[in-house]
Amino acid sequence: MRDFPPEVLPGDTPTWRSPLSFLTWLVRGQAGLVTLMTVLVVVWQLPSVLSPLLLGRAIDAGMIARDPLATAGWSGLLLLAVVVGAAGGILQHTYVVRSWVIAIYETQRRVGHTSGRLGHVLGRRVPTGEVLSVASSDSDTFGATLEVASRFIGALISFALVCVLMFTTSPMLALVVIVVSPLLLAASTPVLRPLSAAQRDERTQNSELTSLATDIVAGLRILRGIGGEATFGANYATQSQKVRFLGVRVGTWQGVVEAISVLVSGVLLVALVYLGTHELSAGRLTVGQLISFVGYALYMLSPLQTFFDFSQKWIAGLVAAAKTSALLGAQSPWRSGGAPVGPSPRLVDEASGVEVIPGRFLAVASADPDASAALVDRLGRYLPSLAGRHEEDDDEEGLRGKALRQARSERAARRAVQAARDEEAAQQRWGVTADGVDLRDVDLASLRKRVVVSDTASMLFAGTLQEAIDPWGRATRDRAEEALIAASAEDVFDALPGGWQGTIDEKGRGLSGGQRQRLILARALLADADVLCLVEPTSAVDAHTEARIAPRLAAYREGRTTVVTTASPLILHQADEVAFLQDGVLVARGTHTDLLTRPDYRRVVARGMEEGDD
Amino acid sequence: MTSTHTSAVANPAPEERLPGSASTWRVTAPEPRIPADLHVDTTLPPRERLARWKARHALRRTRARSAFDASRNPERGLPVAPARRAFAFVRELASTRKAGAVAMIGLNVGAAIAALVVPRLLGNLVDDAAQGASLTQTDQVLMIVIGVVLVQAVLAALAKRASAVVGYDLLASAREYVVGTVLRLPLGHVEAASSGDLVTRITSDVSKMSTAVRWSLPALVTSLSMVALTVVALLLNSPLLTLPLIVSGVMLFFAVRHYLRNAAPGYIAESATYSKINSTITETVEGTRTVEALGLHDIRQARLDDDTAESAQAERYTMSLRNLLFMWLDLAFQLPLVLVVLLGTWGYDAGLVTIGQVTTAAIYLQQLVTPLDRLIQVLDHLQVGVAATTRLLGVAELPDDRTPRDLVPVGADVVGRDLRFAYRSGHDVLHGIDLHLRPGERLAIVGPSGSGKSTLGRLVAGINRPRTGEVTVGDVDVMDLPLPVLRTQVCLVTQEHHVFMGSLRDNVVLAREGDATDAQVRDALVAVDAGDWVDRLPLGLDTPLGRGRTELTPAQAQQVALARLVIADPHTLVLDEATSLIDPDTARHLEGSMTALLTDRTVVAIAHRLHTAHDADRIAVVIDGRIAELGSHDDLLAADGEYAHLWRTWRS
Repeated sequence: MRDFPPEVLPGDTPTWRSPLSFLTWLVRGQAGLVTLMTVLVVVWQLPSVLSPLLLGRAIDAGMIARDPLATAGWSGLLLLAVVVGAAGGILQHTYVVRSWVIAIYETQRRVGHTSGRLGHVLGRRVPTGEVLSVASSDSDTFGATLEVASRFIGALISFALVCVLMFTTSPMLALVVIVVSPLLLAASTPVLRPLSAAQRDERTQNSELTSLATDIVAGLRILRGIGGEATFGANYATQSQKVRFLGVRVGTWQGVVEAISVLVSGVLLVALVYLGTHELSAGRLTVGQLISFVGYALYMLSPLQTFFDFSQKWIAGLVAAAKTSALLGAQSPWRSGGAPVGPSPRLVDEASGVEVIPGRFLAVASADPDASAALVDRLGRYLPSLAGRHEEDDDEEGLRGKALRQARSERAARRAVQAARDEEAAQQRWGVTADGVDLRDVDLASLRKRVVVSDTASMLFAGTLQEAIDPWGRATRDRAEEALIAASAEDVFDALPGGWQGTIDEKGRGLSGGQRQRLILARALLADADVLCLVEPTSAVDAHTEARIAPRLAAYREGRTTVVTTASPLILHQADEVAFLQDGVLVARGTHTDLLTRPDYRRVVARGMEEGDD
Repeated sequence: MTSTHTSAVANPAPEERLPGSASTWRVTAPEPRIPADLHVDTTLPPRERLARWKARHALRRTRARSAFDASRNPERGLPVAPARRAFAFVRELASTRKAGAVAMIGLNVGAAIAALVVPRLLGNLVDDAAQGASLTQTDQVLMIVIGVVLVQAVLAALAKRASAVVGYDLLASAREYVVGTVLRLPLGHVEAASSGDLVTRITSDVSKMSTAVRWSLPALVTSLSMVALTVVALLLNSPLLTLPLIVSGVMLFFAVRHYLRNAAPGYIAESATYSKINSTITETVEGTRTVEALGLHDIRQARLDDDTAESAQAERYTMSLRNLLFMWLDLAFQLPLVLVVLLGTWGYDAGLVTIGQVTTAAIYLQQLVTPLDRLIQVLDHLQVGVAATTRLLGVAELPDDRTPRDLVPVGADVVGRDLRFAYRSGHDVLHGIDLHLRPGERLAIVGPSGSGKSTLGRLVAGINRPRTGEVTVGDVDVMDLPLPVLRTQVCLVTQEHHVFMGSLRDNVVLAREGDATDAQVRDALVAVDAGDWVDRLPLGLDTPLGRGRTELTPAQAQQVALARLVIADPHTLVLDEATSLIDPDTARHLEGSMTALLTDRTVVAIAHRLHTAHDADRIAVVIDGRIAELGSHDDLLAADGEYAHLWRTWRS
């Protein structure tokens, strides 16, 4: 029997043909647990199933017959059922929790594996928000699906049991219960539709309300700094009142549903008692049996409720399965294997004509910073980011039925096209060679080890300051200090209570942009790469600090291949050589001082330098 | 002063170059996050395993408690209000809605009574039938039952609606109050803190409070009245057959008390572990390129495993709590039936009760299960709701250091005298700065990071109160100016590109939301060269902006931001390049708009780029909390100090 937290190995994730095949795979993966849970649901329900019978017998055989021994016998059985039921309930709950959290943790781990397998390509396939919703909410849906599946089978069994019990007492009454109770329950379905429409409206407007609140927090500096509190406070209040109105509408419909359910159980009860008293007077039923039937009728509504519950949650499970199976089944476009990259390779980019000479500090300057960034992406064999290109039509809000299905299938098709494109890009010659070998044909892991790219979107991870700059846990204190000082980040160390063990929040929140950037630089230095490529490493840093970083960076990387894209003369000055790009193509190569003779270069590297001459 | 660092690098003295480094650097692996005592050993004999389980349960309780306490008294971030404030808050809100509350309680009680009449009638019917009453007689009783069921259905519907009316009304007032307090947060705090904590509070805590107010409070009324009235009905039916309830009452009391004492810390600790998992996954997924580039995948996955293991421990703890509770609940709910049968037999024999009374009691006991169950759930949710509410009310507890007075500044002179400031006491970042801004001048502040230049800007803009000295505008201390007045005098310009969800007018009018006309708003937009695209908007100033509505380009967003300042019309602007005032790309397109804004104003520019400094009238070089150099570009070059050195490096 599986226990939690579950072990999930990378690489054992299959691909699924359909959402249904995903769900069946999920259930199969926990087959033992689901079976056990089902059995335990029945055991747990035993007192409820048997107590009408036992109570009736106790009344007939014990009470009315004035036979204390019979009473003792029947109530003894009742007691036994209660105790067994309680034990079953505890075990059932224990296994439900186990299966539920296994579903959550397992999905989350697989999301982690997928992210590791795809790397930066993940962002080109599935929007980040959707990946996170698979990990946090779909995983929970799977727990609920497994639970409701076992409860559904258990309810079917209990339902059948009660039917048998009823038939053995009075087939006529049994038929009434079995035929009438589903019909009565179905009577409430017409109002479920307006209820769920009202709930949907309320949810939509409520999430709009939450967006307004987060929007206020996000812009709070402006609202407190410049003004506008009254305007946006009032906007929030208006929306809040709208939600209130819709909420009351939901409450009204819930009231109607409640009224119907009261009527349903009331009518069933009256019908049974009516028939029961008539049977009683005809002598075909005893008092105890009549009481039993009242008990059955009250109980029958609960398994029926479970059937409805199941149909809803199973559908939710299928929706979650569609998203999850698409994500977890995504494949990396890269071919595995290939030639290992040797130490300190010489890189040549064919598109721009830039050559990276081992052991040298090369700066790349370009009128268009994106061109430099693209060059570095090519050197590291990264597919460009699609940030901002994910269309908003991923938003399913307000779509229903056919339109919703169509939107989903279009999205799936779009993603398949994207995956095919990545695949194609990975098959073709890459256009950058490492020691003469095209990067397509090299081993990706060895390339990542030799060539480290730290781009502007680099993420700082939560943890201690020590973990933030040395996540691998392999640096000596001496080396870490050197890197920190080279990045001129001593002020971060000073400001953080606890020094190296001071806390860095999620994504480096709470640090200024400049502080974050310098820690990221220190971390990149500690990566100790043969070839280190830094994209605009000082864009958020002031000139004074930049002036300190530039020589320290050059000294720290002395004798090792370093590529830095920048337009700052302070850094260009420190480089062994500057490659000057125009329209993405190398037009000049030389030291900063040499290149300064070119007016086009001067325009790029120092805005205001021209006017500064006088 | 910078030379101290340079020399440290040139001449490494490992113990001194980073004070505190040696004592805080960790060489050994950190403690495992799950102590060995929490691991299960399946090889032990059963008795030993039970003892171990008890020890683990106790340890898990301690861990949950300490996680809970940590969340109650955050080291950093916003304060948390005491629990009694939450109760007082709800009481206050409820006291203004007496009519609704009375209607809700009345209808719920009515519905409960109707629900209790039916089993009583059925019990009588059983008696009648057992004694061989005529069928017409029993059929008549059934007609009454149908009538009562109808009444019950109507009352139940109305009660539900009344609960929704009261619940949603309370909730709307509560959340509007909370957003109101957020909008009154002290300026100094808003500028200093990251918004993460506040976002959590306004999203997840508001939603927890919502559940409590919207669902739990009404459900509390419903289930409490049902439980209380059922007990009364049982007593009216037969005092003898009510006796078994004493047994369940005792069981429930102890079981529920134990559960409730531990549940809230358990669940709060548990949900904290899930937040941790989510934030680890968020970082991994959003930073997937960084993870790949630095080869961190295994490390991230190991971290997720640790988070998961921690979460599993929290889950095991709450699971055991619930198991203990469920055991007693199941017994407490079902045992009375057995006792009713036994007592009933004896009572029937002694002529004390009828079969009908036994039937009624059995149905009542069955009816008691749902509301009792719900009552326990409600108490559970209410505890979580109270905890969330105290966090929300805590937002209001931040002290404001402003002392607004009714003073009117005369003139536009901005003067700072003897300014000192410390974020941590004993660690001054500014050491007695004097500064006099000449009206209309442009002053650039340059200096290395950590030198205090941003802090100086914040003091000048009246965001923080200096530890000593004061900043005056037109001879009035900026901290004495009410915010609406301050904004029309001095503005700190940050986070330019945020476009609010709201109309274009709402987005521009900010500082003068009370009195600006549409014409003024339009003029401000025209002044920053936004006239063209604004005219093309179909709804003009009423066009809704923000995510998912009309989205502006970065340049347009920047123009909206500048128009806000034109409308505010302060005579002095503090621009901090660090907080992304002008991202160079867009700035190039916005030169005209910027000039329109800056003309005829005093400008303090905290400059990152040297050309900004070069263009200024005067330059202040701030180093280690002091103004090291002050003068025009040419003056400073002539003085041949820090600035001149930097300039030459930059130019060469």
